[in-house]
Amino acid sequence: MSSCDEVQRELSRFLDGSLPARERAAVRAHLSGCAACRGMHADLLRLRGVARTLGPVEPPDHVWLEIAGRIRLQEAPVAAPAPGPARPVMPAPPPRPRAALGQWIGLAAALLLVTLGAYWFQNRTPAPGDVVAPTVVDSATAELNLALEDYERAIRELETLAVSGESTIDPALAETIQGSLGAIDQAIAESRTALVTNPESEPARASLFDALSRKITTLQTTVSLINEMRQGDQEGAARVAAQGKKS
Amino acid sequence: MQAHADLALVARCRANEPGAFEQVYRTHAPRLFGLASRLVGRTEAEDLLQEIFLTAHRKLDQFKGESTLSTWLFRLATNLCLDHLRSRGARLTRMSETIDDDPEAGRAAAGAIGGVIDRLDLERAIAALPPGYRAAFVLHDVEGLGHQEIAEALGVSEGTSKSQLHRARLRLRAALAGSLSESRGR
Repeated sequence: MSSCDEVQRELSRFLDGSLPARERAAVRAHLSGCAACRGMHADLLRLRGVARTLGPVEPPDHVWLEIAGRIRLQEAPVAAPAPGPARPVMPAPPPRPRAALGQWIGLAAALLLVTLGAYWFQNRTPAPGDVVAPTVVDSATAELNLALEDYERAIRELETLAVSGESTIDPALAETIQGSLGAIDQAIAESRTALVTNPESEPARASLFDALSRKITTLQTTVSLINEMRQGDQEGAARVAAQGKKS
Repeated sequence: MQAHADLALVARCRANEPGAFEQVYRTHAPRLFGLASRLVGRTEAEDLLQEIFLTAHRKLDQFKGESTLSTWLFRLATNLCLDHLRSRGARLTRMSETIDDDPEAGRAAAGAIGGVIDRLDLERAIAALPPGYRAAFVLHDVEGLGHQEIAEALGVSEGTSKSQLHRARLRLRAALAGSLSESRGR
């Protein structure tokens, strides 16, 4: 090996120490007498040295929030509270009229349908030829905010009912429900943060609406459970809890 | 010791313990995002990082502690990045085996870098490499993998991996020599 071409072809292997001893000695001998090849060797050595200092890169914050949202969407629905038959049930307060509870649940369900419909209508994929004007985009954002307000109103109303009747439920069961609601609230907060960072993020929007609808479902189950307990219907309570588990 | 800690963390993730998978993400995301950014570009790397961690989450039960969690995630990330490049129609190998067939690499002999190598310039030059060269250079010189591992990941022989690395270095030298002479001329 004596020509510059031959030596330069082997410089990387020489640099990485993977050249057999005889060829290695030949390259070393050539470098001692050739400034051009010595310069190339020095450059490749420095290049490799700088490459090794290229470190980790911190990803933007919204990436984790989107991952967390997508994981939640993939996972099974939140476990519904299971009845605790072996534990003593606290004395029930005077029962509320059943019709009133049913009315609230019906209202929440209706709001859910209306708001979901509004949300998906506004966010459907435009058909070919559709012109999306800025005013339409503003309108879609406004509709999204209205849908969120409807969800939140339904949640507030259900929460009031759930809190007022919480003492009816077995304490361990109430703790389970609180745990589920806490996890859902965390999901809602994370999705909202993701939307602040990236308002157009479809996974974050889907995650937010998924979490809100899970909260409504959990609260509906809780209110149904309270109602059955107030009626003194243990079997009904067990049935409601079992249905909640399936949903 | 590390294997035990990794298995314990993975067990917490599989039990859906709050914050456990986020701990995996916070620990390993910067290295994997660096890898993905250099292999596929910054914009696509964000989507790919999501894909890497969603796949990892799905496959956590396959992690048996035979390697560290870091190595397991790095392999998974490398494969997803290379699959992504292939899906874009990128050829990860060059058919030719000689430098003479690569005029741009051959041009490296003409100019020397001769100054300080700026890391940003190097990142730009890496991004401009053909995908196969880029993969060999990033995996070997930046991430420190051996040619056997690189060859397996790329589906090529070790000889081809060495050859791609050498050509990548020559092209980078030519690109950096160009950018230095431009900055000197300003």
